[in-house]
Amino acid sequence: MGSRGRLRRDPPPVRVPPRVRAVYAARQADLLDALMCGDAYPAGFDLARAEAAGHSLRRKRARAIRHAWPALATALGRDFQVRVDAFLSVHPSSAGGLADGLDFAQWLGQASDREPHSHRPVDPVVTDNVRIEITLARARLHRLFVGVRRLDDPRRLIVVFRFPWTRPLVYCLALGGMR
Amino acid sequence: MTRATQSPPVTRRLGRGIGWRPEIDGAIRRADGLGFVEVVAETIDPRHPPTGVRAALGRGLVVIPHGISLSLGGGEPPDRRRLRHLARVADRLDAPLVSEHIAFVRAGGREAGHLLPVPRTHEALDILTENVQTAQRALAVPLALEHVAALVEWPGAEMDEATFVSELIDRTSALLLLDLSNLYANAHNHGYDAADALVGFPLDRIAYVHVGGGVWRDGTYHDTHSHPVVPGVLSLVEELYAITDAPGVLLERDDDFPAEEELIAELAAIAAAAGRGDRRRANRDSA
Repeated sequence: MGSRGRLRRDPPPVRVPPRVRAVYAARQADLLDALMCGDAYPAGFDLARAEAAGHSLRRKRARAIRHAWPALATALGRDFQVRVDAFLSVHPSSAGGLADGLDFAQWLGQASDREPHSHRPVDPVVTDNVRIEITLARARLHRLFVGVRRLDDPRRLIVVFRFPWTRPLVYCLALGGMR
Repeated sequence: MTRATQSPPVTRRLGRGIGWRPEIDGAIRRADGLGFVEVVAETIDPRHPPTGVRAALGRGLVVIPHGISLSLGGGEPPDRRRLRHLARVADRLDAPLVSEHIAFVRAGGREAGHLLPVPRTHEALDILTENVQTAQRALAVPLALEHVAALVEWPGAEMDEATFVSELIDRTSALLLLDLSNLYANAHNHGYDAADALVGFPLDRIAYVHVGGGVWRDGTYHDTHSHPVVPGVLSLVEELYAITDAPGVLLERDDDFPAEEELIAELAAIAAAAGRGDRRRANRDSA
């Protein structure tokens, strides 16, 4: 390391053949999938360490979803962790807590639809607070957005706008009448 | 192990710093003695930086954009759009440098949302070197590279972490973002001595230093940035400053934000540890 103390202005450029990069990237994809889903760790890795790393990574993802989606987490209560774990085990790509939470909410709705009616869990997506959270999340994830949601208790409409130069703008219109 | 005083660092003096997050903006505005803050580059719109970041600039603090998504250790070259964004943020904030990680965050079209380690092999070094050189060509300011904390290691390592980082810094002329918490975590989790490993890093290339909190779970140390800084990491701060006068040291806190007094106390504890190291270095130099 004799050159550490001086700044080399023009280090020699490196060119890695695309074939080498592709093999390297495929090995990384195998590890990433295993860590994200919690199984099928590639050969050669210390399994206990890999499982600890995967667990930590999924815990971090779950925490990000909980943080970005407080109403959804509250609606699910004690079920949140079990159901978010099930969701993460089949969704190996992360787009951040907000976008992951939107996928999670949609996945919950689809999972609910797949259940026989008698075994169908309470769909958390039907609560007013979660409806608002979903609409705001969609607005925050798009630079241009218009969304309308009807809420039940009390009966009202919320209208959400998002323009490229603004944060989401929320308007609430009372509908009146009794449920 | 003998620890001789090393030559002065290569970048400007930054002093004490903290990672700027919206949740602690108020505490940062009121904190005395700060020289710099670091912002997550991906969260900054260069046309409209957050008011807290603009306030930091107004106070004369240096603001350093810290990238988390370039995936410099990935098999694919860094994305030009992400590089352009980082360059624009640096320009808008008048930053003297930017920083990123020696890690990959995506592969096979999927995103980890987390910094994953690269194999410590010559092949990985070649790919990292080319990716870093691509990034450097797109940036108008120097790039500092941070080594990451990793619970899992790739099999078939051809060198230790300090050697790997030194080789990369040497081959790219990049600066070093030395993360003492990552060093502490890796040393404990993979069974080597952190203070011994410290002297193997290219300390004369330090741009600044990261210090973050963590927690022990089931015999494993987790670098969470959501817990207090542990005494062992503060000892490493002292060890580092006993060897060299690093240009700046910055506290990272990303979650479970403590009360303002606690945050200020952590900054003070880091400064005190650096001060103890300074005195040891001065005593050795004058002896």
